[in-house]
Amino acid sequence: MVDIEFEIDGKLVNANQGDSIISIADREGIDVPRFCYHKKLSVAANCRMCLVDIEGNPKAQPACSTPVANGMKIYTKNDKAKNAQKAVMEFLLINHPLDCPICDQGGECELQDVAMDYGSDVSKFNEGKRIVADKGIGALIQTDMTRCIHCTRCVRFGAEVAGIVEMGLTGRGEDVKIEPFLTEGIQSELSGNMIDVCPVGALTSKPFRYEARTWQMNAIQSIARHDLVGSNIYTQTYRGKVKRVVARDNEVVNETWISDRDRFSYEGLNHESRSLSPKIKKNNEWQDVSWEVALDFAVSGLKENTQMPSQFGVLASKHSTLEEFYLLQKLTRSFGSENIDYRLDKADLSIDNSLSSTITLAELESIDHALIVNSYLRLEQPMINHRIRKATLSGASVNTINIKKFDFNYGISLEVLSAPQRTVSMLQSVLKSLHEKTRTTLPKYLSKTKTDVTHNKIADDLIAAENPVIILGEHINSNPSSSNVVGLISEIAALSNAKIANLSLTGNSLSAERVGFKPANGGSDVTSMLSGDTKSFLLMDVDPNYDFISSKLATDTFNKKNVFVVSLNSFEDEQTLSSADVILPLACFYESSGTHINFDGVAQSFSASVSSPGDSKPGWKIIKVLADLLGFEGFDYTDSSQVADDALSIDITVDNNSEVNIEVSEDSQVTAHWQNSPYASDAITRKAKALQETQIGKINDAFVSDLTAKELKLSEGDLYHGVPVSINDSVAEGCVFVHTYQSRQG
Amino acid sequence: MIKKVKKIVKDFGLGELRSGLKVTGKEFINNNITVQFPEERTPISPRFRGLHALRRYPNGEERCIACKLCEAVCPANAITIESEAREDGTRRTTQYDIDLFKCIFCGFCEEACPVDAIVETHIFDYAFESREGSIIDKKSLLAIGNENEKAISKARLEDSKYK
Repeated sequence: MVDIEFEIDGKLVNANQGDSIISIADREGIDVPRFCYHKKLSVAANCRMCLVDIEGNPKAQPACSTPVANGMKIYTKNDKAKNAQKAVMEFLLINHPLDCPICDQGGECELQDVAMDYGSDVSKFNEGKRIVADKGIGALIQTDMTRCIHCTRCVRFGAEVAGIVEMGLTGRGEDVKIEPFLTEGIQSELSGNMIDVCPVGALTSKPFRYEARTWQMNAIQSIARHDLVGSNIYTQTYRGKVKRVVARDNEVVNETWISDRDRFSYEGLNHESRSLSPKIKKNNEWQDVSWEVALDFAVSGLKENTQMPSQFGVLASKHSTLEEFYLLQKLTRSFGSENIDYRLDKADLSIDNSLSSTITLAELESIDHALIVNSYLRLEQPMINHRIRKATLSGASVNTINIKKFDFNYGISLEVLSAPQRTVSMLQSVLKSLHEKTRTTLPKYLSKTKTDVTHNKIADDLIAAENPVIILGEHINSNPSSSNVVGLISEIAALSNAKIANLSLTGNSLSAERVGFKPANGGSDVTSMLSGDTKSFLLMDVDPNYDFISSKLATDTFNKKNVFVVSLNSFEDEQTLSSADVILPLACFYESSGTHINFDGVAQSFSASVSSPGDSKPGWKIIKVLADLLGFEGFDYTDSSQVADDALSIDITVDNNSEVNIEVSEDSQVTAHWQNSPYASDAITRKAKALQETQIGKINDAFVSDLTAKELKLSEGDLYHGVPVSINDSVAEGCVFVHTYQSRQG
Repeated sequence: MIKKVKKIVKDFGLGELRSGLKVTGKEFINNNITVQFPEERTPISPRFRGLHALRRYPNGEERCIACKLCEAVCPANAITIESEAREDGTRRTTQYDIDLFKCIFCGFCEEACPVDAIVETHIFDYAFESREGSIIDKKSLLAIGNENEKAISKARLEDSKYK
């Protein structure tokens, strides 16, 4: 609705009621200097840099907080506006140190740029400048608070976007400063965005400190692959190394923000355990060899060890690219085997429980009720959590059914605790309650189910909402009855007209689903491969210690004498070295071109930002050459985009509409849920040093309730499979919730 | 006809030789302007741009703060710098190389330096014995600076009134 007409710098423009002058100026391409204004944050109008002259107004007005009005005549460049802006600039520079040469912001600094236009050469201020002592705010952000100009963007970011108020403005006048409230450092999983919003060099990236100047780096468009969102990023490279990752605007994907995991994981690229040359194991000794020798060894080993095609198995990490998934499944199927799987951390592989999401990222903002099942959304999918948070700010309510009460950055109306083994019965009760409330025929399997106030409340909230969504998180993966949960959730969604957001398929799992990277026609899934008689394995970016639901089963299988393991891996970890027979060095994130399919089903392709170190090669090329050497046809690709085109054009219809068969099985045994902390989610993140030093990176607790602890004879501080026990009432009875950066044990 | 006669008189009268000897005779009496390099040197301007040096502060602290402005301004791409935070948290170079084969001695690096760390000295008589010798690293640049600090600061002082 365009209802206002006014003049800006002599140009007649239209705007809506309530638009600020600065937003219209931005739209019209008129440059108004600013520091505190940020399009995604609230208006503070405290820097006063955007003063403009409005005809009839005795004083210049801030463009960010002045709404346009009909017939207004605005001048952004006349003498009055310019003088006002120059005066403000002079004040801002009074206390700003002249240390641009050693400031990491130098070259991309908003203050530097604006000072070029509005500053004067010589300062009239001869008194001493103010110096502010720094307080460390963690391993990710470097502070130089002397440079701060008190725009409060970081404070507003914390309060409005991250949802955790960790910094604030203290003192008055000369003594005013931005300070963290706590000494342990910033806890937010989105904290890195403060670096982006800071207009000066007060907050800069700590891992990047003094490594390169901004003008030296190439910015390459890329996609982050750690979560389901596929955040758009720029990788900034300098002399063939990724030096920094910053957010790239994409309103429908990640808006302007990225998570810390996406921002700082690049550090893992330069880890000392990078695999740099092909290796083969002969007589239990590792030898560095050339690619030809290693590939021949791998191919002959695979052929010799595999009497029947069905003895060959391929396992891939869910963070592989679409191209890698496609070529691997093609290779395996050319081999005559159906043994492929990427669902390494899934306990229940019985039916295909790939519940498809029926909502888009942008739509998540307009929901009015969310039921979160089995997810610590804030840490696991930070950008999706941010959308939900935005919805709650405009009035949406959220209920959760989780193993533990988690620390969300918005209010939860009802937090229901449920141990993994009781999730099915919990959801059954909710479903029954829904049936009763909607007066629909009750299915047989619900006849004995009991409902109580909690279930009724959950059902009520779902029915009452106009736009509800049910979010299924990744904790479901280790639940042995996850197919039942999935079945119940689709029933509940159908009955309550709720949309579904399935976040249990994280990383690039949707690419694997797209190309059918799952056993079909009687092939073995990961568990039966590991416990069956598979004699040769091809592992793609797999870490036996972390990736499997039972790392013991995996390592035992790989370590068997008669099992031949070819591992495509970027890192030479102890476990990889002990279990593999050939290591083919693999290009890591940002070193290979590829495609990621995100929550919305959008395939986002990216090119390599840097070349891979040493002799390592992009995964799709290694698989292509392996296939050629194995003598398979149809691998004549010269470019990863050809692979992607092929992969996206195939239509794999997996019939997964098996009848939901829900059995009530109340298990009274204590179960353990092992959840890796978000900064241990994939190999490169685990190697990123700064991330590991943060509060989230150090998560290492086995939560257990008082009663369960007594039952298990555990007391506070004991080690539960190497993880210190924390007795806590916020965890469901009958289970141990292990949240840790350590690898799975037991 | 007359021309021919004049030529014959000049040729047989050793005209060319005499005019040559006139110059020799003049220079024989005049002051000698030959400089006995390297024992003797001609005076050079304080702005002379010769071999590079990295300077230190009087307390021994190196001046260079790795701002890389010289690297950015260098039209011949002769400067290569790597930097990191030193143990005390200050910004320092770990590598500072100048390729003297690439360098065109324009003096932009000197102009760009905010802390007067990289300077061009009056040294012009240097030689390399190998191709790699053309690249001088941070250590030798600092050593040149240490040796010539007096001359460097004197030249800066002399030139300062014109800046």
